[in-house]
Amino acid sequence: MKNILILILILISANAKSYNKVKITPDISYIYVYHKGKAIKIHRIQDTKNKLTGEYALLYRPNKYIQPIKISNDIQTIGEVELLKFMKNKGNSREGVLIDIRSKKEYQKECIPSAINIPAEVKDNKVKLNKIFKILGLVKNSDGTYNTKKALDVAIYCNGLWCDKSSIFIKKLIELGYPAEKILYYRGGFQMWKILGFTTVTNR
Amino acid sequence: MKLSYGVALIVSTILANAEVVEITKGVPSITVEHDGKTYKIERSQVKNSYLTNTFALTSRPSPPFFIESFSVNKNIETYGELEVLDFISKKKGVFIDARLENWYKKSAIPAAVNIPFKLFLKESKERREALKSFGVKERSSSEFDFTEAKTLLFYCNGAWCGQSPTAINALIDLGYPEEKMKYYRGGMQAWQLLGLTTIVPEEKK
Repeated sequence: MKNILILILILISANAKSYNKVKITPDISYIYVYHKGKAIKIHRIQDTKNKLTGEYALLYRPNKYIQPIKISNDIQTIGEVELLKFMKNKGNSREGVLIDIRSKKEYQKECIPSAINIPAEVKDNKVKLNKIFKILGLVKNSDGTYNTKKALDVAIYCNGLWCDKSSIFIKKLIELGYPAEKILYYRGGFQMWKILGFTTVTNR
Repeated sequence: MKLSYGVALIVSTILANAEVVEITKGVPSITVEHDGKTYKIERSQVKNSYLTNTFALTSRPSPPFFIESFSVNKNIETYGELEVLDFISKKKGVFIDARLENWYKKSAIPAAVNIPFKLFLKESKERREALKSFGVKERSSSEFDFTEAKTLLFYCNGAWCGQSPTAINALIDLGYPEEKMKYYRGGMQAWQLLGLTTIVPEEKK
């Protein structure tokens, strides 16, 4: 009986883990977001000896060029703190959506919680793009342009500092009339997310 | 026989070129000058190389380490690697490694001078000398003329490092013009994750 009680206590304390050893900011140790309807706690890996290994620690990336800090003057670049704020304030209330524009395969393997996958290649597929724009709250006018009044806020990421997909995709969105002030660019991307030890999810 | 050998050579050259890790397209390296020395900055060309040193650590203990905001404030421009390379290759100002000396001694970005953030926090002979080297004129111990102050670009260990934001904030308090300070937030961690060249600085005599 005593053992069971201790076990229960251990389970409770494990569940209520504070994640205070490695925090996000002085005030924030974790946040909750929704990924495919499930609540996910985003925190940082608490093992201070943990090192990033695997494909996102790879340095050798031929033909992958370093991206500028800004896509254009009217698109805001953000870091992790701003991204988490976006997920909490916009994502959780469905006023905004985090978009992972890496390949379906990459997304299925591992992604940032709450992200939906729109592979960058979609930009060249008119039919698919139309469907996506509808989801993002754009209404097509009779003359083929879009009414963007109800466009959702979006935050976009790809693989990281050496990945040009976000830039190409965002430029296409702007070209089609998506309001620049509703687009955020997380340049650090999946690689910086990983190297800072943030929670990821799989989509299998 | 000779011809096919030649063709093979050309093909292998093309293939070799296709495998070069460049900074931007057509730019494999840049040269920077510092203290009369020349440094070549490029990205790692070692196949299948991974980041394995202490900068691969994901989780530094809090405090003192927290994730920094993207910007120090809205008037301080945040730089990425291309903007840093442009700044140092064109000598647009002073490139400052704001980390404590023990970090800097292990490895640093070429062309950086080490001015640990603590130096900016309180009045001292060292701080006066640093300000003088930035082109700041001292009117009194608390009053400065920043008319000819140079542009300063700061970096430290990366997104989880508060040393350069602390230095920048201390200089804001002194009245240093905000548009004359830039922040490379990616720092040592992002720099090395891109395979960019670092150096072990020589001891100053």
